[in-house]
Amino acid sequence: MEKAEVEQRVKKVICRVLGVSEDMIEPDSHFVFDLGAESTQSVELVAAFEAEFGIEMDDEAALSVDTVGAAVDFISGYVA
Amino acid sequence: MTSVAPKSAEPGPSQRAAKPHPLDSVFSPKSVAVAGVTPTPGTVPFDIFYNILTSGYRGTVYPVAPGKRSICAVKAYRYVLDIEEDVDQAVIVFPANVVDRAIQQCGQKGIKSVIVISAGFREVGPKGRQREERLKDICREYNISMVGPNCLGVINTDPEVQLNASFARKMPEAGRIAFLSQSGALCTAVLDYAREKRIGFSKFVSFGNKAGVTEIELFDYLHQDPQTDVILLYLEELRDGRGLIEAARRVTRGENAKPILAIKSGRTPQGADAASSHTGSLAGEDMICDAVFREAGIIRVVSIEQMFNSAIMYAYQPMPADDRLAIVTNAGGPGVMATDAAVSVGLSIPRFNPATTAKLKEALPETANIKNPVDVIGDARADRYNAAVAAVLEDPNVDQALVILTPQSMTDIDAIARGICQVHKTAAKPIACSFMGAADVGSGIHLLQAAHIPHYILPEWACEAMADVQRIRRWREQPIGDIERLPVDRAAAGAILDAAPEGYLTEDQGLAVLKAYGLPVPRHMLCTNADEAVAFAEQIGYPVVLRAISSQIVHKSELKAVALNLDSADAVRGAFERMRRHMAETVPEIDLHGLLVRRMIPDGYEIILGGKRDPSFGPTVMFGLGGIYVALFKDVTFGLAPLDRHTAARMVRQVKASQLLEGARGGARADIEGIEQSLVRVGQLVGDFDRISELDINPLIAGPANVGNMVADVRIRLSERN
Repeated sequence: MEKAEVEQRVKKVICRVLGVSEDMIEPDSHFVFDLGAESTQSVELVAAFEAEFGIEMDDEAALSVDTVGAAVDFISGYVA
Repeated sequence: MTSVAPKSAEPGPSQRAAKPHPLDSVFSPKSVAVAGVTPTPGTVPFDIFYNILTSGYRGTVYPVAPGKRSICAVKAYRYVLDIEEDVDQAVIVFPANVVDRAIQQCGQKGIKSVIVISAGFREVGPKGRQREERLKDICREYNISMVGPNCLGVINTDPEVQLNASFARKMPEAGRIAFLSQSGALCTAVLDYAREKRIGFSKFVSFGNKAGVTEIELFDYLHQDPQTDVILLYLEELRDGRGLIEAARRVTRGENAKPILAIKSGRTPQGADAASSHTGSLAGEDMICDAVFREAGIIRVVSIEQMFNSAIMYAYQPMPADDRLAIVTNAGGPGVMATDAAVSVGLSIPRFNPATTAKLKEALPETANIKNPVDVIGDARADRYNAAVAAVLEDPNVDQALVILTPQSMTDIDAIARGICQVHKTAAKPIACSFMGAADVGSGIHLLQAAHIPHYILPEWACEAMADVQRIRRWREQPIGDIERLPVDRAAAGAILDAAPEGYLTEDQGLAVLKAYGLPVPRHMLCTNADEAVAFAEQIGYPVVLRAISSQIVHKSELKAVALNLDSADAVRGAFERMRRHMAETVPEIDLHGLLVRRMIPDGYEIILGGKRDPSFGPTVMFGLGGIYVALFKDVTFGLAPLDRHTAARMVRQVKASQLLEGARGGARADIEGIEQSLVRVGQLVGDFDRISELDINPLIAGPANVGNMVADVRIRLSERN
């Protein structure tokens, strides 16, 4: 899967889970500081990414990812 | 009877207009941003915002909640930088890993203070410690006052501010007590306790990891705060003990003095550090803490109950002129118990003057006891209580009154409480009450508490609280002098200390250092052969003492390295040879410098003077009963070096052994003034030289004034060179 496609689908998941508009999301956006994710929403995001891409991620590593760009890179490692 | 308004309404010195203070933005911000608010009730980020919104805050509050349009119908901002107006304070509730970004933006926005509620810093280990250092760096860069991290927050009940920037459930009542706590969880318990007892607060601060604002700056702020009369402190960790003591002295004495009551729990790892000198081993942080808190006017208490018991006595009642207590009771047993308790904590139970006795005789039945403690008898109703309480308070021999009530079938509890409230309105002297029991006396207690009359379930607690107020009064009255430097030969002492490696000085070196600082050191000489020793003994006169000298010998008696009472040339020669031979055979590895010869010191009281560099308080001085009893009785006290002569005098009188020195049981009075001066000199010495980590003069033989004092042994331990 192309990285651009991963990025697009990641953004859609973020908009759905966090309730933010797509224009707020930049590659260096921090899930908590820039997009307002609460602690429980971090877990929801991981689950939503797994469902979106049909993958199973390492939970600890996934939860330590804190920006949109890092999430795209991390998921790309599973779907490449 | 002189009439006065209740203390809280007096235009006292603490109610003057406050000057601007750097912490004004912490306590009285005109606008607050809460950074990291979430829309979920029951979470800390939501509750903090909600509490500010609903506590009646007189300023403006802005929720910073990325991705949210509003919180509680208040327009939300993505970043603090997006707020159009100026903001004084930010309360940070973001998770720990982004708090640095939030504070960075606060700095860019020109915000003057931040309260960091978030946990996950120094308290969680090295990574958290790094995060905390980063926050400190940012605050320094932007000149931001930071409270926290890892704290409950700040409350200011001032009607012109009304800020509850905390996650405490409810805003406390306004009052004249400030409470500072390193523990956030304790704060919520204290607020709940205080609400039940109708205790109000002026300021309430949880300062958590105290990475920025510490108790020292808070003392300074509260000293100037017109709403605060008493400061309460719960402290787990002392980082700058000396700074704390110096700040406390400024607050607790002089113009606008305010008492500080403190609970200090926990011990530092340094305090448990093994130490080989007596002073080192006795000077655990807790003992030093006790002594130096006392010397800073801090009343150290052991429980929250005691803290508030004493605080309300001080805050709600006038300061008594002296320690004379009148007791009025309707039950003999509790009256006697209260009398015992009062006397044991240092209060006195005076006789009434004839006029008071006459009034009591007229108002009370024949079976009543009209002496102190006054027993109005079990069937007493409000009229007897009113008459007795008013009469004893008018007595010039009485400084304060304790009213005890036990609920009998005919006791009109509420009427008695109302009567006491009425007397209290016009009384110039403090009143405390103890309505003993629970259910039956409950409504009477509430009446007293509503009128700010201190109430205690047990009369003993009332006595303890009154005794604490006496401590506050005496502390303000007792003299503290300026530190004056006594003439010493600092260069001579410095030459010895600078040349010595880490570890112990030899005894002759130690004596030379003490001599340079004017301490009473016996004439002595280090001799390398018996002829030299005999010649010196002949010169100074018999009897003499021989002591083996080596930097490797710390405890001489264990190695038989001391010979006493040598009264002739033959005795000196024999002891010299025997000691040298014994040392060579038993401890051949020791580098023996020689044997020190000095006069045998006449009998006297054995006392210890010590010095220790404490990791938190810096150089300290110890005084107490010396010789072999040091470790057994631990009858010692401490002071911060350098000492003024008044403090040295108080130290000498604080230990039980001072009675011996005064000549108890027919003994001669020791040269106490000489001891005090020696303490001042030890303080000057340990204050002058950072490398002295421990110093023991044990014993100093204290003789009568015509003989004087003399150092019998000294041990000085040096730390490594810087």
